Amino acid sequence: MSESVNLAPPSDGEVLVIAEQILGELQPVTLELLGAGRYLADKLGGKLSTVIIGHNLGDIPQKLIEYGADTVYVADDPELQDYRTLSYRRVVCDLLETFKLPPHIVLLGSTTTGRDLAPRIAANFETGLTADCTELDIGPYEHKSKVDPSKVGLYEGCLYAIRPSFGESLKARILGPWKNPQMATTRPGQMTPLAPDANRIGKIVNIPVKLQKEDLRLVVAETVREVSKGVRLAEADVIVAGGYGLGSKEGFELMHELAKCFENSAVGASRKVVDLGWIPYEHQVGQTGKTVRPKVYIACGISGAIQHRVGMSKSGTIIAINKDPDAPIFKFAHHGIVGDVYQIVPELIRQFKEKLTTKGEKTVVHTH
Amino acid sequence: MAGPYEIFVLIKQVPDQGSKAGLNPDGTIDRAKAKRMLNPFDRYALQAALHVKRTYGGRVTAISMGPPPAVEILLEALEHGVDRGYLLSDRRLAASDTLATAYALFKTVTHVGKFDLIFCGLQTTDGDTAQVGPQLAERLSLPQVTYCEDFHLDDGRLHARRIIEGGVQFVDCVTPALITVANSYHPLAYKSFRGAWRVQQLQRNPEELGKYIRTVDLDIIQADPERCGLKGSPTIVAATEKVGELGGNCSMYEGHAPDELVGELIEKSNLKEFLVA
Repeated sequence: MSESVNLAPPSDGEVLVIAEQILGELQPVTLELLGAGRYLADKLGGKLSTVIIGHNLGDIPQKLIEYGADTVYVADDPELQDYRTLSYRRVVCDLLETFKLPPHIVLLGSTTTGRDLAPRIAANFETGLTADCTELDIGPYEHKSKVDPSKVGLYEGCLYAIRPSFGESLKARILGPWKNPQMATTRPGQMTPLAPDANRIGKIVNIPVKLQKEDLRLVVAETVREVSKGVRLAEADVIVAGGYGLGSKEGFELMHELAKCFENSAVGASRKVVDLGWIPYEHQVGQTGKTVRPKVYIACGISGAIQHRVGMSKSGTIIAINKDPDAPIFKFAHHGIVGDVYQIVPELIRQFKEKLTTKGEKTVVHTH
Repeated sequence: MAGPYEIFVLIKQVPDQGSKAGLNPDGTIDRAKAKRMLNPFDRYALQAALHVKRTYGGRVTAISMGPPPAVEILLEALEHGVDRGYLLSDRRLAASDTLATAYALFKTVTHVGKFDLIFCGLQTTDGDTAQVGPQLAERLSLPQVTYCEDFHLDDGRLHARRIIEGGVQFVDCVTPALITVANSYHPLAYKSFRGAWRVQQLQRNPEELGKYIRTVDLDIIQADPERCGLKGSPTIVAATEKVGELGGNCSMYEGHAPDELVGELIEKSNLKEFLVA
């Protein structure tokens, strides 16, 4: 018999998603968060709210309802045109202060914005925050550790914030049921959005914006977005990625050459080679880089450590070329060649070119 | 005011994940046995802090929290040209999550004194959260520039370029401010011979070394132990599970000449569907 009692703080099960828009366009991670948030709110028997911050937000609030929100809080102000830590932080903190009970859960995307903002909100409310989650769920938890006797007990409705951990093949379940809101950021590309439903009914609430002088200490002088010349890792059908096994910076010329064989392709890289300066950061795939979901991922000289795997494991077809037959990447690739990248890749390019010049060959397209 | 600047840089000792030594059977790190290293992200923060000192003048103080061996990375920082180091070391800090860590660092920073700039690495390689910097900035009520790629100072004002989704942003703010440095910033320069020699001399004279590196505990920095360590942490790691062996049905093409291998791959994979017309 357990003497445990439920000590979870009072809650009405509300889940709040902090939405993200850039130039009036909702970010995909927000739609994913609404999908995950809807699931969590339904399981908790609470409502799903979201807050959108910016200026001239157009039909975004309506869209947030279509994607699953029950209530949309709108903070619209010229000073909120650009994302800025302190002014956005003020809006969210002020909003949370107006709640009778704090939301059960607050979610943000693990984007440069979410990772900038979430820790400040969590620190302000002295609550827990789990970074870069790949799965979220709700469940019970019985805390038995006597280190802090006031925490011992059975807790229902805990946020299971699950993230890869220790740089090894481990998933850690992080819990913080002692205080609400329980907060998490989730990696883009990991959750599934709901299908939009124009008939979904929700409430739009304009909230007052009361910025203070100290919230405007940082000035955005200029924002530059790379529209066409940037590395389009997120949208590419085929990614050719290089790792430490390439041996040198020059190996990336070969990666670019292979990428040119494909329509809508991009060149990716592991963190190690980015750290070595072989290729700029915007090419980095993985836990500290981008999450990608191409139809084909060709990993050249990449061992497949968990940090990299987190970023590319949802690729359609994974093809690995590596000298080391024990490289972890062969455990989750679909096609593997044990061999020297400098022998295999030039041969790939040669055969592709041959195919292109041989009439008829290209018309043989298999459907799987 | 254009300098000199009082510059703090926060650094952390992490297990070297590249070495297999010190791994528990379940794949977690046995921190006692693992090889230790300076968090790779902090190398960029160190470079940024030293850049300010060399360009505008000032003093760099490296601050770390960790068990006693973490003094190694403070010595390393001294070799690179940092002026002094503080190590916050206390058993009551064990199992601190990011909130508790940021609180302890906040008390340490306040104890050390006034500053114009605090540099942090973007994140650590053992936690990967990128949360401690912003949480410290919140406690200190500072403006922050995260994902900072480059910066300069002008009359005490910080002008910075930071990474955002799909682009970059140019921002400026007053100091004091906290900056987390992206790994697209300049890599840490090699240690100077003079710096290494100086630290070698200091290590022979513990009393003299004590003037440059101070170890403090929760009592000295006047931190509330209830807000530190496991007690002060709102989150815990409740469970870890090994990620199942994935796939296992990789079609391997081995042991033939490259042209045969490649021919087989092209034949059996869907690669050719995506070739340029």
